[in-house]
Amino acid sequence: MLLSLMKYEWRNLNADRTPLTITLLLGVALAYGAWNGSQWVSFQRSTIQSALQEETERLRGVRNEIPKVDAGEIKVSPFTDPRLPQALGRGPGARYAVMPPSALGALAVGQSDLYPYYFKVTTGSKQTFLNSDEIENPVHLLAGRFDLAFVLLYLFPLVILACSYDLVSAEKEGGTLALALSQPITLSALTMAKVLPRVALVMTLAVLLPFAGVVLGGADLAADGAVERLLFWMAVTVAYGSFWFALAVAVNALGRSSATNAMALAGLWLLFVVVIPSVLNVAVKVAYPVPSRVELIQATRVAGDAATRQGAQLLARYLEDHPEMAPAERGGIPDFGTVQVAVSEATERAVQPVLDRFDAQVAGQQRIVDRFRFLSPAIVAQSAFNDLAGASAQRYSHFLAQADEYHRQWRGYFVPRILRKVKLSAADLDQLPTFRYREEDLSDVAGRLQIALLGLLIPTLLVVFLGWRWLGRYPIAGA
Amino acid sequence: MTMTLLIARKEFTEMLRDGRFRGAGAIVFTLLAGALLLGWQNHRDVSAQHRVAQEATRAQWLNQGKKNPHSAAHYGVYAFKPQAPLSLVDHGTDPYTGVAVWLEAHKQNEFKYRPAQDATAVQRFGELTGATVLQLLAPLLIVLLTFNAFSGERELGTLRQLFSLGVSPAQLSSGKALGVAAALGLWLAPAAILGSMAIAAASGQGEVMASAPRMIGMALSYLLYFGAFTGISLAVSAWAPSSRAALMILLGFWMMNGLIAPRVASDLAKTWKPSPSAFDFGQQMQLALAKGSDGHDPGARAKALEAGLRKKYKVDKAEALPVNLLGVRLQDSEDHGNEVFDQSYAALWENFAQQNRIHQMVAWAAPGLAMRSISMGFAGTDFPQHTHFAKAAEDYRRMIQRTMNDELTYQAPNTGAPYLAGNDLWKKVPPFEYTAPGAGWVAEQQAPSLGIVGMWFVGSAFLAAWSARRVRVA
Repeated sequence: MLLSLMKYEWRNLNADRTPLTITLLLGVALAYGAWNGSQWVSFQRSTIQSALQEETERLRGVRNEIPKVDAGEIKVSPFTDPRLPQALGRGPGARYAVMPPSALGALAVGQSDLYPYYFKVTTGSKQTFLNSDEIENPVHLLAGRFDLAFVLLYLFPLVILACSYDLVSAEKEGGTLALALSQPITLSALTMAKVLPRVALVMTLAVLLPFAGVVLGGADLAADGAVERLLFWMAVTVAYGSFWFALAVAVNALGRSSATNAMALAGLWLLFVVVIPSVLNVAVKVAYPVPSRVELIQATRVAGDAATRQGAQLLARYLEDHPEMAPAERGGIPDFGTVQVAVSEATERAVQPVLDRFDAQVAGQQRIVDRFRFLSPAIVAQSAFNDLAGASAQRYSHFLAQADEYHRQWRGYFVPRILRKVKLSAADLDQLPTFRYREEDLSDVAGRLQIALLGLLIPTLLVVFLGWRWLGRYPIAGA
Repeated sequence: MTMTLLIARKEFTEMLRDGRFRGAGAIVFTLLAGALLLGWQNHRDVSAQHRVAQEATRAQWLNQGKKNPHSAAHYGVYAFKPQAPLSLVDHGTDPYTGVAVWLEAHKQNEFKYRPAQDATAVQRFGELTGATVLQLLAPLLIVLLTFNAFSGERELGTLRQLFSLGVSPAQLSSGKALGVAAALGLWLAPAAILGSMAIAAASGQGEVMASAPRMIGMALSYLLYFGAFTGISLAVSAWAPSSRAALMILLGFWMMNGLIAPRVASDLAKTWKPSPSAFDFGQQMQLALAKGSDGHDPGARAKALEAGLRKKYKVDKAEALPVNLLGVRLQDSEDHGNEVFDQSYAALWENFAQQNRIHQMVAWAAPGLAMRSISMGFAGTDFPQHTHFAKAAEDYRRMIQRTMNDELTYQAPNTGAPYLAGNDLWKKVPPFEYTAPGAGWVAEQQAPSLGIVGMWFVGSAFLAAWSARRVRVA
């Protein structure tokens, strides 16, 4: 019975070209979204490539320069002498710490357009190189991108609601509901028979098209965890879509007119996709206000001034802490390079508490978002999509931590050589530490995703239950 | 006229009695009032932080002790972007542009620290600001109030009765529009008063008068925009076969206008007029700086400069020059750098301007884009005003450089002996004062967008009148 009803429903849908319209609308939007995302990924890739190419050429230049300086063919000042570690580590020898776009990067731009994805690491303080923001028209950052995540978060629910807002009400208004229920079938079963073909169509599109997009976009599915991430993506899409179908059924079950249903569902969509997220955004900012970064700038400057004034003393204290780094010959005026080391480390140490305060505020915001995102499936889905596409703030922090570690290694290489006044040779260039990005562990992401899936499924089941209860009391005839 | 007013009064009374309108209106009002209040609080905090920082950077500059003028130039100062009072209504692009720029020797720096980087990803759903409520939610309220203006009367059979009484379509549609306007005004007027109070409180002394024209410009533009939405809704209501169809069409338009068009416009702009990557931009600039605009290497440039000076002062040795050669060379390299920066930033900002013109083209189909641009403009949070500030800061940087280099050139001995300047010199650099452009400047910048919203207003009024005249009564 259910099957044959579904068959008729499908025929019905076909008669008014619903499947075609949906396929076209959703298909075009999804394809366009996927294309946009892959444009962004290839932009990042080409930028990274130019950076790495610049690094290779620059290092090759230094390698050729060193013997010429040795031979006295080129005259250099102590600030530009590539053999001096304090000069080399600050500029000519610098290397990039790069976070490549993840395997599914094309699926969501997320926060990746807001945070840097490469740093030119030097012996200077962190603040000097941690700001390599990408150039972007701020109006574009404000508007956001038309990527797959946008299509799935905003448009996909609308397509679902558009094709199911009058699921039961239209039957009633057309006078066919009483007729259909005179057959041996319950209203729940009839509703099921009507909703399932729609679910099948919309979900197939929403799941398969991103998959096609990923494959055509040249994503590396062989990458570690890529297939699992894609499966998770599909699961989140299905769970998110199910919520909206459940909502449409539940609203229908209240027995109002099609027009009222449409209004109510549009209102709910607005509530979940626009109002709750923006109210939550405001609420977290009130709970954990992040002061303007001008405070960080000032703190850095004050600390820098203090450190510069104490320069020589700082160096003496530094050498007391690190006697192994003390230069072979004692005494004399410490040169600029050595003082610089102590000054920049002291500045960084002094600024760290301020930085930590900023981080703590943002972390506090994130905690509230994590707790209250379950108020809106759209927020749950957004954070899951960002996680899966490697466009989340968490992945950026993961990268930042690695860049930080690399910065320590970099200094660990140069500082002792600066203090011991070692002269570097061309061969030493091969010994410079290199950066290799380690992708977030799938298990870290998987934990967050499982909670996200639950956060989508529990409300869905709740709404399904309510809908089912309400369907039992549905006024079949009359108003 | 009396008939129009009668209809308006009937509509108004009916809406007030409708629980749905009261509910929706109350939600919109609460969100708007909340957004304004929080906007004011945020504005107060951030402005205070920026003011303190601006004073501190000045104090640091003055108290930097005895130094070589060029060391002082390297030390530099920071310019912190002030918060325009109206930014509490519309944050515009402020969260996505840096808050401060370091004004140092040799370099025009980028603005650093975009506030959005210190927020969660929820921010990307859109911020709850006055602008969000006015641009996104208020039009939706208008749609919900007017979608069945004609179709509802037709479906109830009252449209035929109305026309049989001799009511003209024009009277009916203007009456309905007035009714909606009055009902909306009931929510918007208190919000506007609240907003003006917040803006007045946020404007420092003497700034209130400067904010007033911007406030009026913004309010009038929003009224035009709401008028356009009312007109479109009425036209669709008269033209659509049923209330349901009217609602669907209008919701579709609202969605396209508010959510899809901004993104599509951004993508089109990025595709047609791509911006350089920050990396390429930096490399190009480095290359140009190293080469010199005339293509000579800096060594040759410096030699030519020296030769020129020797000729000018008729001496045959650099040591005999009455000016300090280092100071002249530094200023020369500044001059060369400034040419490069002017070219590079002019090209980048022109690129953004071209992209924004593409947004404007899309705005002919989606007036929300034009409204967004106008609103940010009057709020003082759009990109043109960011560059206005950036240019002022850069001019200030160049002034500092020239002051320091002139000191070196004309005061420092030409013997290579160390030269130290002190507080007297630092005081020669006046504090950084920035005056934001006036409302007239904004209106000029926003002329195309204002034209688009105006056209939509006029066009939708005509459309409503035309559709009303051709409305089917049954």
